[in-house]
Amino acid sequence: MKRIIYPTDDGGVAVIVPAAECGLTIEEIAAKDVPEGKPYKIVDVADIPSDRTFRNAWEYT
Amino acid sequence: MAMTISGTSGVTFPAGGVGNPAGAVVGTTDTQTLTNKTLTSPTLTTPNIDSAQVATVSGTAPIYPCRAWVNFNGTGTVAIRASGNVTSITDNGTGIYTVNFTTAMFDVNYSVTLGARPASSGTNGRSLIAGTTYSTSAVQIQFINAADTAYLDPDVYCVSVFR
Repeated sequence: MKRIIYPTDDGGVAVIVPAAECGLTIEEIAAKDVPEGKPYKIVDVADIPSDRTFRNAWEYT
Repeated sequence: MAMTISGTSGVTFPAGGVGNPAGAVVGTTDTQTLTNKTLTSPTLTTPNIDSAQVATVSGTAPIYPCRAWVNFNGTGTVAIRASGNVTSITDNGTGIYTVNFTTAMFDVNYSVTLGARPASSGTNGRSLIAGTTYSTSAVQIQFINAADTAYLDPDVYCVSVFR
């Protein structure tokens, strides 16, 4: 399973969670749902922390 | 795409229909497959869509089906359990998510219905609100502790869109 990450305007990171039923590839979802002009990365779900205690301190690197 | 309509009480086609005599009723034991046909104001009596039977409708109030929906968990590894007309959700931070539609809404005058199961019990109320993004292609939703306005991650978050 994959996730798409991109930096937010306030210095944090947004994580896009694809819907399995939508029929689009992860690349197509990135092209559609990442805000225009934002850089993004496709990462493995295991690379996203499951501990969300400090979720708002996550950064895009 | 072929569509098969079969019912237990027959299917009535309108005048000027799809090749059937006006007002013809397909018999209760008949099945008719329609391919690339347009039905104008048909009356369908308890039809089946695939293997699901459309529920018997009470009264004459119009029906407005859901245009998009999603059920996801907001704790641990955020993931979508099931959805319809949704390409993805965006996790923007604690308690703030964006639902991205596969096919855009007609306009921004749609109605969003939210439901959630909090991750922890408590005596404080919770607020579910539509957030700053409310466009034809996406809607942002937020989950807030009503007592101190802190954002919270719900265990289950459900969103339905009607238009």
